[in-house]
Amino acid sequence: MRIFLRLIAAQYKQFIREKAALFWTFAFPIIFILLFGAVFSGEEDITFSVGLAVEDNSSVAQNLSAALQQVDAFEITIGERQGELQALEDGDRRAVIVVADGFGESIAGGGQGNVDVYYDPSQTTTAQVLVPIIRQVLDGFDRALGQAPSYIRVNEETLQAHDLRSIDYLTPGILAMALMQLGIFAAVDIVIERENRVLKRLGATPLKRSTLIFSTVAFRLIVAVLQAALILLVARLVFDVPMLGNWFVLIGFVLLGTLAFLAMGYMLSAFAKTERTAMPLLMSIQFPMMFLSGIFFPVEMMPSFMRPIMDVMPLTYLGDALRQVMVESSAIHSQVMNLGVLAGWLVVCLIVAVRFFRWE
Amino acid sequence: MSAVIEVKNLRKAYGDIKAVDDVSFNVAEGEIFGMLGPNGAGKTTTMEIVEGIRAADSGSVRVLGLNIKRHPSKVKARIGVQLQTTALYPRLTVKEVLSLFGSFFPRRVSADRLINLAGLEDSRNKRCINLSGGQQQRLSVALALVNNPRILFLDEPTTGLDPQSRRNVWGIIDHVRKKGRTIFLTTHYMEEAERLCDRVAIIDYGKIIATDRPERLVAQHFQEEAIEFELDQQVDIEGLRSVAGVTNVIVEDGKVTAYSSSVTHTISALMDYAKSKGIELTNLYVRRATLEDVFIKLTGRRIRE
Repeated sequence: MRIFLRLIAAQYKQFIREKAALFWTFAFPIIFILLFGAVFSGEEDITFSVGLAVEDNSSVAQNLSAALQQVDAFEITIGERQGELQALEDGDRRAVIVVADGFGESIAGGGQGNVDVYYDPSQTTTAQVLVPIIRQVLDGFDRALGQAPSYIRVNEETLQAHDLRSIDYLTPGILAMALMQLGIFAAVDIVIERENRVLKRLGATPLKRSTLIFSTVAFRLIVAVLQAALILLVARLVFDVPMLGNWFVLIGFVLLGTLAFLAMGYMLSAFAKTERTAMPLLMSIQFPMMFLSGIFFPVEMMPSFMRPIMDVMPLTYLGDALRQVMVESSAIHSQVMNLGVLAGWLVVCLIVAVRFFRWE
Repeated sequence: MSAVIEVKNLRKAYGDIKAVDDVSFNVAEGEIFGMLGPNGAGKTTTMEIVEGIRAADSGSVRVLGLNIKRHPSKVKARIGVQLQTTALYPRLTVKEVLSLFGSFFPRRVSADRLINLAGLEDSRNKRCINLSGGQQQRLSVALALVNNPRILFLDEPTTGLDPQSRRNVWGIIDHVRKKGRTIFLTTHYMEEAERLCDRVAIIDYGKIIATDRPERLVAQHFQEEAIEFELDQQVDIEGLRSVAGVTNVIVEDGKVTAYSSSVTHTISALMDYAKSKGIELTNLYVRRATLEDVFIKLTGRRIRE
């Protein structure tokens, strides 16, 4: 334990004395948040063009219509069912809500009022953000009136329809990106220490390799938590980005994500002999992950043939998990799925790393 | 004296290359044992197997009476190791590195004592990355002494150092020798082996080709002395070989080494020969045979860096 702490202290000194490492670990993600936050500030809330067709003249239908029009995230266009559905097909609407004829009558009669919601389920952002908000508004009625509409494919999660701004969407993504970099760039340090024969020199002492590895991993986990805290703090203070979920779940995902990417870092370090070959290798891994995992851009902007790639990227799942905890956006995947995929990556990378890792 | 290192029939191959080819030797307690050979001869591989940081294909190694394969960490706790070119933690200071490494051992020497021994008093708070090559090497040797080891392993401790730094490192080695510790070192510097070692093993292509005290190695192979000179023109080796008293002639880069069992006769005969051929001899001097000559005689070539 004493040796373990000495190794952590040594890494800490090595770390804080390297300005580049400090910059990439702490300043870089913060700059990202400030930059994105400034670009998408205020007015630039995500708004959705929603078509609304009210075919029923009852007061309850009019009330529902008014409630929907008050939602900040919606830009409501009122029209006919056919016309609005055509607009949806043409891509001019993200969703169409139809309050069908007889809505008020059947509710008054104690029955089920039909509200049809049309949207394209392949549009993830819509599924993630728009539908929950509609659901929320309808739920308000639901509670009073009894029955929810039947056309909505709603996610299992309970959802709060607070305004989801771009920065709310981006902050968890940037945190996920920072953790990924922390993890896979551990490979550079490992390669340098192997190249410098530090690992070999340590191997000539009674120091156990497990102690060495555990101390390295522990140190990076500490940095990950600090990084998360700093990112969340800055996002909160500057842009009022909320942290709505459970802190333990958040920290759990931060640690699991870091571990998975650390394992990936160890795995990658096995395939690079020198620092010079390690850097391009890591870049070629990190950039596709950054841009193919929906942490910055909505996934539907990507051509569909790339979808299968996105569906295996661990960063997709870490970003989604952190986003669900922090801003309680609706899920792309369930948290159990996120947990499972990240754990799966962790195990696979570990197995490859153990098989191919060399100390010299 | 008892042997603190016993190596028997050690073999290690990398693919088709036999890096260590049936090497056996013993090192006695308190001895300075040197392994001398060109780069790639198998010195470092042999040493690292003995240190327990590399596995042999076959053969047995006992260090301080312990089988290195069965008790690697017991052995590592009692030996001190300096590797070729270790950069260590670039942003830790000299003192921090020494105390970090000290913490790996149950018994340790204080960082301050090692700093004094290595002559690094003025650099104790300098980061490793800012040390000169000589200072880094002294730190590397000091690190090997951090656990007050019974055997000190030095892999080419002075390679690439300027003469001043080399003497500094030799000073540390002398200090350790006086305390009666055993030292196993490798080098490709002949004068280093002659100056430091009680016993030398000459190794080439993974095989030990001779082991003895340096002066006895020379005496065994040479009754002759060496006459060296340079020539301004192409030389007729056979002609030189026929000069009185000459036993052998080696020419390399215009530099001629003639071994002679009777220097007096050879010198005067050589002068006559040169005059008759109209050859100008420059930089002529006579020296006793050295380990270098032994190496050339045994392998047919010079040790080069």
